[in-house]
Amino acid sequence: MKRVLAAILFVLLLCGCAAGPSYQKVTFLAMDTVMTVNACGTDLPDAEQLVKSLEKKLSVTDPESEIFRLNRDKTASVSTQTLNLLETALALCERTGGALDITIYPALTAWGFTTESKHVPEASQIAALLPLIDYRKVQVDGSRISLPEGVMLDLGSVAKGYTGDVLIAALKESGVTSACLNLGGNVQVIGGKTDGSPWQIGVQDPHSDDVLGVLALRDQAAVTSGAYQRNFIGEDGNTYGHILDPETGYPADSGLAGVTVVGNCGVLCDGLSTALFVMGLDDAIRLWKSSRDFEAVFVNEDGSIAITEGLRDQFTLRQTGRELTVILR
Amino acid sequence: MKKNIPWLIGIGLLLLSCAIFLLLRKTGSGQLARIFADGVCIREIDLSAVTEPYTFSVETAYGVNEILVTPGDICVTHSDCPDQICVRSGSPRDKGLPIVCLPHRLVIQLENAPGGLDSITG
Repeated sequence: MKRVLAAILFVLLLCGCAAGPSYQKVTFLAMDTVMTVNACGTDLPDAEQLVKSLEKKLSVTDPESEIFRLNRDKTASVSTQTLNLLETALALCERTGGALDITIYPALTAWGFTTESKHVPEASQIAALLPLIDYRKVQVDGSRISLPEGVMLDLGSVAKGYTGDVLIAALKESGVTSACLNLGGNVQVIGGKTDGSPWQIGVQDPHSDDVLGVLALRDQAAVTSGAYQRNFIGEDGNTYGHILDPETGYPADSGLAGVTVVGNCGVLCDGLSTALFVMGLDDAIRLWKSSRDFEAVFVNEDGSIAITEGLRDQFTLRQTGRELTVILR
Repeated sequence: MKKNIPWLIGIGLLLLSCAIFLLLRKTGSGQLARIFADGVCIREIDLSAVTEPYTFSVETAYGVNEILVTPGDICVTHSDCPDQICVRSGSPRDKGLPIVCLPHRLVIQLENAPGGLDSITG
């Protein structure tokens, strides 16, 4: 009889192990996009609440936000979180030689990308705005930030990545060892899946509705920037992408159709994906060669694909007939 | 013979638990579409169980979206929103990305990304 009981207990134990803690998936709208948090664990932090409290500080359109007040009053004291993000973003602007510029907002507004009335502005209007686009004009004195007249700050190019990092930290703090976050196309994962395999993350093809390839990720972020997102067709019949080149004030035209940056830090991947897209393949490769904290998938406008060598074992091409090059250090 | 009975029971239970485990896995493989209005899941549709196409409307305080459900697929056919992005975005199966109508705060999301993927960056 004892043996029977032991056998039953053994089987029950096996069943319990097989079930394990389950994934909990939440979906919500925030930061003008859809966000999904899929985490394995119990007593998970309220992701939506966390994101919305960050959005309250970082939004460029909410009159109550710290960034809105800074843009309106040209000087403001900001919270530690906003200051952290701002300083990280400024360092990325510097590192990318201004290919990422968090003072691009006046030009974005001129193009109507911040509203629903997207249009091609007059060349004279863009020319007049160019002197205002310069991240070096942002003054940081302790927690007090100051902007010269006309200069405006927008942390949109790094906010989702930073938000991902904050969520990842909160989930890890509550004991989560397996999670997959998708914040409007920014994917960040904790560990691998509970079966021990890495997360399988598709990379969107800028040229079609299909997945271009698959990244196998563990404890990493993958962020994509491309001209196919939020673009519009002007009255001249040309398509205009939403990522502006801070040097010209016009949509970036670097020969790249899309860039996916993979690294350990969400905010870094977010800022770099924009910057690499703006600077084009050659400059992007130069920056990668002098760095050790990110890898990338580049899709050229002609459809060819290039990956940095660190992704050789992590990236699998899903489409046949596409040219794939591995960039070596 | 009597000696072996506990072991036979044990092995039987083990096989039974394996069968239950596999069965549970199998029932979870259907493609489920979830419709969220203002962050709240208002409807779940098992697309793999759909045999005949049908349409229905989701009316919120922000406006109306008409949704077409076909065997294995779902899309927005009409919306009185200003940008029409939800109508143009087609099926979430193609890109693996959810259909989003920001003006109406409506999201249609597939439970599983297509092609055995966990998520898609884009």
